[in-house]
Amino acid sequence: MPLAPIDKDVRLDQLTLDPYPIYRRMRAETPVVRVESANRTFLTKAADTKRVKDDPELFSSDDPHTPMQRAFNAHTLMRKDGDEHRRERMAMQKAYTPKIIKSNWAQVYRDITATYLDRLTKGETVDLYKEICGPVSARILIHVLGLEGATDEQMMRWSQNLIDGAGNFGWDPEPFEVTDRANAEMDAHIASCAERHRAEPNDSALSLMVNAADPIPWSQIVANIKIAIGGGINEPRDAMATIAYGLLTNPDQLEEVRRQEAWGAAFEEGVRWVAPIQASSRLVMEDTEIGGFDIPKGDVVMTIQASANRDEDLFEDGENFQVFRPKNLHQAFGSGPHHCAGANIARRTVGEIMMPALFERFPNMKLPDPAAVMWRGFGFRGPINLPVKLN
Amino acid sequence: MVKVTYVAFDGTETTVEGEPGASVMQTALDNNVEGIVGECGGSMMCATCHCHVDDAWVEKAGPRNDGEDDMLECAASDVTPTSRLSCQIKLSEDLDGLRVLLPEEQV
Repeated sequence: MPLAPIDKDVRLDQLTLDPYPIYRRMRAETPVVRVESANRTFLTKAADTKRVKDDPELFSSDDPHTPMQRAFNAHTLMRKDGDEHRRERMAMQKAYTPKIIKSNWAQVYRDITATYLDRLTKGETVDLYKEICGPVSARILIHVLGLEGATDEQMMRWSQNLIDGAGNFGWDPEPFEVTDRANAEMDAHIASCAERHRAEPNDSALSLMVNAADPIPWSQIVANIKIAIGGGINEPRDAMATIAYGLLTNPDQLEEVRRQEAWGAAFEEGVRWVAPIQASSRLVMEDTEIGGFDIPKGDVVMTIQASANRDEDLFEDGENFQVFRPKNLHQAFGSGPHHCAGANIARRTVGEIMMPALFERFPNMKLPDPAAVMWRGFGFRGPINLPVKLN
Repeated sequence: MVKVTYVAFDGTETTVEGEPGASVMQTALDNNVEGIVGECGGSMMCATCHCHVDDAWVEKAGPRNDGEDDMLECAASDVTPTSRLSCQIKLSEDLDGLRVLLPEEQV
């Protein structure tokens, strides 16, 4: 079989600005394609992205050549496979279960959301992304992880620093200097919180990990918490902003969502339409084939879930936000062993608590100029502003 | 082929045929049976394919696999002694006629 075709034209800055027309073209013309500027083989069809993620033996997460290890000063579970990955993941998974969220935390999250909404006044025009989406996500994550004492600003900065470091594929020294400083701050804060959790255990991720009968090593507890900081703010933030945009620009759907209380469906459609995590990499462990092309051992494939989520084979009118789809088999949370550990939390907090609270508080909220909303991101994507008139 | 009956939370029954070796989760997805999500594709990482095995079939379906208990704790609906992750039950001729009951919610 031939090797996949090479795309020499597509640039990362184009993918950052608006990848969707490019992915639509790739799905139609070159669904498996070596993108020169990314040095990766892009997979844009849902069947291929799922197959790769469901087969960790052939398509490994353990790629030693990514900047993540340097950024986190650790080999994190994101880049592990098999039993080691499962053990580290299960050490904190209980903190993220629907039952724990419902019984222990739902009221806390409702109160947090209400407190931040209280700061806003009807009649004002505010940037919802800046005032609500980011800070509420950060504040909720502090409770989920057991990091009380950190500020919203610290959490958001740490998260962004880690993301910038892990995405520093040019290996510039400066982003790593930033992550080194953030790591020192996080290490100190996590250690002090752990002391408190040993004395007063609760159901937060850090508390469950330090008080486990057979705990994972301290280095991995810290690494796990950092992964959750890196991945636990921007995704709910971007999901929230995307869903709000989708509903505000489709008032008929908003009305129907309200009538049916279909906030769960609105959540699923938001993360399908613009997946907060758009792409992931996997290292090819043996010569194989995908979609009729030879994929050699050592190649790095990128599953483009952003594209899978709009695949014409699965979705009618996938380019548009349409809450009331008959089926919504999106891959926004991935698939396989690395399926998003925070999926439950995201569904419960963003879908069941934050979105209804926002639209209940400001039932006549408007987005006066949808064109003013800027979208950015290739690996992670969402609006970076959301100027709404509150009412 | 192996017959499997899925009993939805509202009591609606759907009977489909699956290949021996396929999981109860995958068989549901392949046949558009509602009520099983199977979001992690059978890697035992999400608990969105939770089912209760009908009492008459518990023994034949076998015990839970390693790690299944822990993941079941993450299920959205109540877990009972007959709870299984349907991705971990593989169809065989012995299971022809298997009945599984689906929980109220998976996510």
